[in-house]
Amino acid sequence: MLPPHAVFHFPWELNCLGEGKSVRTFGRLSCYEADTSRATLSCQHASKEHHVFVRTSFVEPFNPIIGAQYLVLGETETYEGFGVMICARVLSCVDGVNIALLQKAIEGQRSFFRERDSFGGGGQHR
Amino acid sequence: MQADAMEEPPSILWGLDPIFSAFARLYIQDILQMTESVQIPGIYFYNSHPIYKVDVLGTVVYKRERDNFFCYGVDDGTGVINCLCWKGELLKDKDDGTGTAPAPSDPGVFDPVVELKKLKQAQQKRCRLEIGELLRVRGSVKTFRQQREISASVFYKVDDPLMAVQIQWMMDVPELYRECYDKTFELQSDGHGESAGTPLIKATNLIKDFIKQKSVSRFRPYDVQDLLQPLIFNQLRAASAEPEAAGPSGCQQLRQLLKEVLQILQDEGVVYRRVKAQDEVYHVTEQDKDLLIAVKDIIREDSKREKCA
Repeated sequence: MLPPHAVFHFPWELNCLGEGKSVRTFGRLSCYEADTSRATLSCQHASKEHHVFVRTSFVEPFNPIIGAQYLVLGETETYEGFGVMICARVLSCVDGVNIALLQKAIEGQRSFFRERDSFGGGGQHR
Repeated sequence: MQADAMEEPPSILWGLDPIFSAFARLYIQDILQMTESVQIPGIYFYNSHPIYKVDVLGTVVYKRERDNFFCYGVDDGTGVINCLCWKGELLKDKDDGTGTAPAPSDPGVFDPVVELKKLKQAQQKRCRLEIGELLRVRGSVKTFRQQREISASVFYKVDDPLMAVQIQWMMDVPELYRECYDKTFELQSDGHGESAGTPLIKATNLIKDFIKQKSVSRFRPYDVQDLLQPLIFNQLRAASAEPEAAGPSGCQQLRQLLKEVLQILQDEGVVYRRVKAQDEVYHVTEQDKDLLIAVKDIIREDSKREKCA
């Protein structure tokens, strides 16, 4: 009944994930094709431009602001020769977000989980 | 390492854990995995902390509305949980404020009908959420039909266009875990005869008691040194079980403890030194007749002045 939780990933990590993973990621809206319900989010990292392809069928209509930062939440789908596309359940404009701080927060959270898991399930009371 | 899952602290001691009375900001993953207490159902345990109320912030990914409540599925990135959000009286009205806006009221004229309509609209705005919006929920954890859910006591939509609130939350929660939730809270009742406290506290009390009982007006450190001997002796005896390690000798530990205790007593004002010299003489404030006379003289002098009369 409830959808699976969407874990934060960076745009450059998506290609390693398989099919059907619930993810949350972000990027600048660089292109939107309303007729095919496809959007592209872009992100600069390590002097390379990364693209996130998004299927927007479930979040339309939305007001596309080209160049604005967006947050997308959805499931990964793999297409032959195309790579990974996210079927969006949530697409929100977060223009003005401090991307560096967001990245730091995500990494901080990840390192906390790693720390906790390395203590053998740490505080978890099973 | 991990306590046996069946070993719960007795329920009478749960109130001693400060986290028990707080809305714990746990990750939804942890809320879903907490074990339920065998003593009192409805209370859950995270790392030996008894928990029954939580505080979550997450994206609405599921919504169900009934006459009396909203059921929002909230996703914080680690898990998804149902939040049962009861509708207040204003929200239950079928005549919701999504229709025409109230006519602008005359400033200075208070029209209760118009104000009530505005209030209803404001409430609707804060409580009626769509998928993708950010929700803050504070409430108690319940298990309903084998599913864990949160019964909200407070819930509202969070306006977070720049993700500042979510980012702050993501940075705060690991700190809370490190400082509070992941620290085991010892809820053992003290069965020992000796009073609880570190050696420092015990030592301070020992010297205070001695000064009081013997009506000491002044002393030098070596006069009271022997009082602390038993404390050091106990420490050494406990440490002797472990292999020999290079560390401070009994004598040095004693001198160090004495030094710390005298500093604490000075800070509290129980003792003081008139002259900073090699010869450490400590005067006990309460017993010091000279000090009392000096203070009385000062007060007398000051009272003679006109403004203090």
